[in-house]
Amino acid sequence: MNSPALKTRTFGCMGTVISLTVPAGTGPGTVGPDGGLAAAAAAVERVFAGLDGTFSLYRRDSEASRLARGSMSLRAASAQMRGRYADAVGWRLLTDGAFSPERPDGVLDLSGLIKGYAIEQAGDALLALGVGDWCLNAGGDVLVNGSPRPSTGAPWQAGIVDPQDRDTLIGGCPLGGPGTKRALATSGSAERGDHIWGARSWSARSRTGPAGAEFRQVSVAAPDIITADVLATAIVAGGTPMLDRATDGWEIEVLAVRGSGELLATPGFRA
Amino acid sequence: MRARAAVSAALASAGILLAGWQAGVRVEDTGSGAVGTLSGTDGTAGSRTTGSGTTGSAAKAAGTYAGAVVQTRFGAVQVQITVKAGAITDVTALQLTDAERKSIQISNRAAPLLRAEVLKAQSSKVQTISGATVTSAAYLTSLQAALDAANL
Repeated sequence: MNSPALKTRTFGCMGTVISLTVPAGTGPGTVGPDGGLAAAAAAVERVFAGLDGTFSLYRRDSEASRLARGSMSLRAASAQMRGRYADAVGWRLLTDGAFSPERPDGVLDLSGLIKGYAIEQAGDALLALGVGDWCLNAGGDVLVNGSPRPSTGAPWQAGIVDPQDRDTLIGGCPLGGPGTKRALATSGSAERGDHIWGARSWSARSRTGPAGAEFRQVSVAAPDIITADVLATAIVAGGTPMLDRATDGWEIEVLAVRGSGELLATPGFRA
Repeated sequence: MRARAAVSAALASAGILLAGWQAGVRVEDTGSGAVGTLSGTDGTAGSRTTGSGTTGSAAKAAGTYAGAVVQTRFGAVQVQITVKAGAITDVTALQLTDAERKSIQISNRAAPLLRAEVLKAQSSKVQTISGATVTSAAYLTSLQAALDAANL
């Protein structure tokens, strides 16, 4: 089977790179040969830029930074900020503290949630534009809709990076098409250690910090990107107990790589 | 068969836990002199169906006690314990969850496997790459960047 003809646009935001990929065609649901892709990419970028401006701590003028400095209280925060905070607190309850909206120093940091939220909102924006076949990848977290081959129902094929050799794939995962899994997120304990501050609760129990985390990398496939992203983060932070809790409580598939290189996987990741 | 054994073991464990929890409630009851009502986490009162004796704590403890119906993610669970001379002599499940559904849940747990057993993907056949959060700098040398460059 030939690789499908695809067109991609990329842009930088939230400290990473976002890629929008669509079939290069003129059929229904595609962006067509003209400026359709540019318009779709612009819509995605607007969503990311808007959320980045509100929620990023590296922007001193953001609402998140004002909250972190204490120059604004959560009660005075925007409905959007309070809404995402409520989401994050809900996830903290659901994950028994493995996922947390607060850094170890107590500062509110919703960045563990916002990227997934931005991907979801961007996907909604694409659907609102009438674009039916697309793949969004933001720093390795993926959400798809439709198919890379319009009207065929074929799923998008996602590869998962081998954490021990980033130039190779450790496994794959079909997304979209006939399946119910549209999202795939991967979290690691080796990169951006500050991202996995949920590790605080884990380290309190196991006396190992992120550096001694049980899992080097965890990939979660789920029907939606926020669930996939949050649970991947939570499993890295919470180890095997959180992995079992996640597979028992959500309709997900998980591929986890231990520090030793040993793999754990749910049946969906078995060949 | 392994799944069945796992289901049986899990249910037995759940039963023991519930019985242990109820036994704990019973001890409190005995201490306060109030016998016969057990309460569950869902607020439904359990009931003592039989039992006899009002003289001495050992005699008080005899009888069968139905626990409250506890709602779990797998459905309703209710157990009954038989107590003789202050000791639990039997645990019976009055309500158990759908065993089929439970076994599906258990089999969805992540299990160890060899690299050769993982659903494979070739770089040339995938349209996107998932990896632990890459920074803008790391992206430049990533497989995703190569894919994106091919589709520009």
